[in-house]
Amino acid sequence: MTYSIVHNLVRLLILLVVQVLLCNNIHIFGYATPLLITYVLISMEKGTGRISLLLWGFFTGLLYDMFSNTAGMASAGMTLLAMILPEVLASFSPHDEDEHVTPSARNMGFWSFAAYTFMCMFVVHTVFYLLDAFMLSNFRLTLLSTFAGTALATVLAVFVDMIFNSSKD
Amino acid sequence: MRNLLDFLLNYKHWFLFVALECVCLMMLVSYNGYQKSVYFTTANGVVGYTYSLISSVTSYLNLQTENADLEAKNQVLRRRVLELEKQLATVNKDSVHISGLAPKYDIVSAEVVGATTHRSDNLMTINKGEADGIRPEMGVVCSNGVVGVVYLTSAHYSIVIPIINRNSRISCKLRGTQYFGTLTWNRGRADIADIVGIPRHAQAKKGDVILTNGFSDIFPPGIPVGYVIGVKDSPDGMASDLRVALFTKFDCIREVSVITNYSKPERRNLENKADSLFNNN
Repeated sequence: MTYSIVHNLVRLLILLVVQVLLCNNIHIFGYATPLLITYVLISMEKGTGRISLLLWGFFTGLLYDMFSNTAGMASAGMTLLAMILPEVLASFSPHDEDEHVTPSARNMGFWSFAAYTFMCMFVVHTVFYLLDAFMLSNFRLTLLSTFAGTALATVLAVFVDMIFNSSKD
Repeated sequence: MRNLLDFLLNYKHWFLFVALECVCLMMLVSYNGYQKSVYFTTANGVVGYTYSLISSVTSYLNLQTENADLEAKNQVLRRRVLELEKQLATVNKDSVHISGLAPKYDIVSAEVVGATTHRSDNLMTINKGEADGIRPEMGVVCSNGVVGVVYLTSAHYSIVIPIINRNSRISCKLRGTQYFGTLTWNRGRADIADIVGIPRHAQAKKGDVILTNGFSDIFPPGIPVGYVIGVKDSPDGMASDLRVALFTKFDCIREVSVITNYSKPERRNLENKADSLFNNN
């Protein structure tokens, strides 16, 4: 338990640095920025309690918001993702799997993991960019930013997953 | 109680979720200028719409008292109109038509500084001239009626040919008809003049009021001149000659007004051209 908290905290810090120094400087279409930090939630162990998931989601988002001047946007998206994460994960992983397995390309299969990541990223980016625009005028740009950000974040997350899981071995 | 606790415990993650999202939204609208402005604008729009709905309903309920108010105001105004009409009627009796002219015609007030009334060619001097916009052939009136026509002007004075001058010719008509004649003066009393050329069928009678008819470009139509005190047939028997008592008291006249914008040079040029054509032929 303590190990997994420390493990998650270390990952959170590394991803935060990458996010703030690298990803925040990517602006596709002038807006779309990949929220790679979502990977912290995506890689949460299967079977983590909903309360702790919600707290992790909220505070991770809050950290991101503090560094990016986007108060409330990422935290709202990641809290929502944390709420539905168990269901999303269940729909993409085999039912006979071990209760405490960590979602990764190695454990779930590459395409399942990619789809699962895409789904999670999509939820977070949708909320993020909807709150960013805050109205439905210019909805096309919001949609474009959402999909571009989601796609790029998914690719990056899969890449990061490969790095983290290969370093374990 | 136990059931309530169970319920709360079972759904605790939902409560937490809602609470956290609320915190996020509060942060969103408190710390982001754009979202804050959109939120408050939307909120104001909704509030404004609600208030306008409420007021459109309550205004119907207030119609009765508003009607009573309006009726009371109407009564006051009606009474005031009657009073003013009464006042206006008395005002019109004394000092006429200058005030009536005011909106249409520019008027320059002047003082009579010299006048003769007992010669055959009486003249009148007034203390306004070219510097005040006065030019020859402008009409001069007073509060009683027609005075004359400007003849000569200097910078600050003008000479007026009054209607009690043998050279004065002013086109007049009987009030209430379109029959017209020419007002002339043939020495004698300064308060009586003659009108020649009124058709007999005009059936002028004593007491009829004579007004300018506006044929010349000197006087606007409708300025009072005098009233008929005698009617006789003209020498050729085709028309009536009228003896007219003038409204203007030339022996005690003091204040006059010059109508400065009625004269139309264009019209005069045209008429002069026509005259010269006939003269050449």
